[in-house]
Amino acid sequence: MLHALNPAARALGLSRGQGQADARAMVPHLLAQPADPAADARALTSLAEWAERWSPSVSLDLSPDGLEGLFLDVTGAAHLFGGETALLEGMRARLAEAGAPCRLALAPTPGAAWALARYGEGQTPIATEETLRGLLADLPVEALRVDDRTLNAARRFGLRRVGDLHVMPRAGLARRFREVDGVGLVRRLDQALGFVAEALTPLRPAPKYRAWEAWAEPLGDVAGVEARLPGLADRLAAALERDGRGATALTLTGFRTDGGTTRLSVRMGRPGRDVKIWLRLFREAGPGRLDLGFGLDALMLTADAAEPLAARQAVMAGEAEARQGEDLADLVDRLSARLGEDGVLTPAPVDSWIPERAERLVPALGRRPQTASADFGRRPVLLFDPPEPVEAIAELPDHAPARFTWRRVTRRVIRADGPERLSPEWWRPRSDGRRDRTRDYYRVEDEAGARYWMFREGQYGPDWTGPGDPRPAPSWWMHGVLP
Amino acid sequence: MLPSLAPHPFPDLPAPLEEAWAPAPRDVAATFAFALSRRPVDDARPVLVAATAAWLNEHGRPYGPGLGDVRLLLTRVRREVDALWAMEQALRSGAVALTVGAIHGAALPQTRRLEFAARQGGATALLLPRDLDGLSAAARRWRITAESGAADPDDPRAPGATRLCAELVRARNGRPGRWTLEQDDETHRLRLADRLADRGQAPIAGTGAPSGLAA
Repeated sequence: MLHALNPAARALGLSRGQGQADARAMVPHLLAQPADPAADARALTSLAEWAERWSPSVSLDLSPDGLEGLFLDVTGAAHLFGGETALLEGMRARLAEAGAPCRLALAPTPGAAWALARYGEGQTPIATEETLRGLLADLPVEALRVDDRTLNAARRFGLRRVGDLHVMPRAGLARRFREVDGVGLVRRLDQALGFVAEALTPLRPAPKYRAWEAWAEPLGDVAGVEARLPGLADRLAAALERDGRGATALTLTGFRTDGGTTRLSVRMGRPGRDVKIWLRLFREAGPGRLDLGFGLDALMLTADAAEPLAARQAVMAGEAEARQGEDLADLVDRLSARLGEDGVLTPAPVDSWIPERAERLVPALGRRPQTASADFGRRPVLLFDPPEPVEAIAELPDHAPARFTWRRVTRRVIRADGPERLSPEWWRPRSDGRRDRTRDYYRVEDEAGARYWMFREGQYGPDWTGPGDPRPAPSWWMHGVLP
Repeated sequence: MLPSLAPHPFPDLPAPLEEAWAPAPRDVAATFAFALSRRPVDDARPVLVAATAAWLNEHGRPYGPGLGDVRLLLTRVRREVDALWAMEQALRSGAVALTVGAIHGAALPQTRRLEFAARQGGATALLLPRDLDGLSAAARRWRITAESGAADPDDPRAPGATRLCAELVRARNGRPGRWTLEQDDETHRLRLADRLADRGQAPIAGTGAPSGLAA
């Protein structure tokens, strides 16, 4: 089945939805590629991101049959681009430059814009509240985004144009075209005319705070971006200041002339609107990571997350402590910007007795490092996670090892302390489906004075290891080193 | 000039930049504990450990329950350059008390930068190089070895208090020497081993200069 056509194919009289064999019969030299809906969706998403240059709220319209499009909510934004006509002209020019042919329409409702863009050829593409009804009247019923069954039914009644519906009694229409599944005809009509509101789901929630700059000449180098950033940051900070808020996440989006976007994000542990700190974070995150392509013609700085500022500062008592806390938060923000959030970690205690679970390393961003709980016995300073296998020989099966081989070196045990028995946490399923076994931990010292923390997993004698026979023999593991 | 045989005190007060060298892999835990102990007792600021992912895989990752009252920040990076950068930023910010860098390849200018940053932030930097051959701006260079501790007084078969030997190989303003340090089980801090303890810590006073001294 033909999924999409280029202009040449359309000129030959082929149409979307036609069977391939049928099409080949009409045009023997037809070139066909398998459709890739996933790639289409990706391309549409990237175009949608690019379209955020015109509106903070861009939604995908994933209508079936390759009729995809984008909804841009430009309410109150048109004047920024020199009025509605200039906005559409600008869009058309930019999209043509980026190699994307388009059909555009501007209307008070998403439904009407959809209809005008697809079926309104030869009409003026801009509808206002007054002209809306008249413009829609000439369009075919297909323009109302109804399914095939409804469409066929409407045709059977001789309803071909939207205007034919205007004169029909609503009650009769509603009875005839019930909403079985999906959205019915009457509701679609009401949506197009603005009697019923239609909610669009934007690609990303529209950021409340954004600063934006565009130029006629594309910007080709990172230095240029860095030079524009302070101005954008100042404006964003001013906007945040008006509301008494601070940003905890910023994104710099560059709009490329070729229809792509490139972005760089930084996050902060606590809200702020200090432009100097922002600029430093962006420097550390590396503007060199932006992919400028053939140049950028617009830059946008958005505060992706904003929080009230005052509430946070009252939390900390003491002047010196507060300052120290801020210094630390700044440091963590900067390290995270450059090294990545996964590169700057702090231990987070977890309620568990299994040593590698009891303390997890988590990104330090937005946290205060804590001292570990002291409930445990002697614990290693350096932990091997996961534990490393050891070959150990014990004098008696249940005893501490007498000698062991770890990392290909055999060591003789002089002193040993243990066992410290840790029972498996059977209520926590393991990701690999294996069942945890009882661990007996020993603190051992070898003849060179080095101290190790090792354990025997599993027990000799009866031990519940779950279903399955034979039961695996106990094994030894190296879990850490002590000073 | 022969070094004096009279005992001289252990330099408790850390210099802005020191180096601690573990001559063998088995000494790494002792060296790491020693490095953490170079933090003033009353300094509650966190400690930053900067290490490469390779080092953490090889020697294990710092484990809070074994570190006592340390508030730990860990940077896990791919290249040593990034670890050095993180150390320098942390020192300069004044937000940390100590940074421990498991970094081998620091060149002389880089160590100078670290020392300067440490002075600026009122903090201490500890490098853990793989040897002490390179030039460095470190005021003190230590050689740390794990030492067989005494048996536990309550259980002769169990290892007793943690014990390590800290040998000051090179000191810019001060004399080299060798001390035996013991870990206090309560506070996890290192302190000078009691000289009257069972083995009579004879080497507590510098027992002659270690070889290769530039004193």
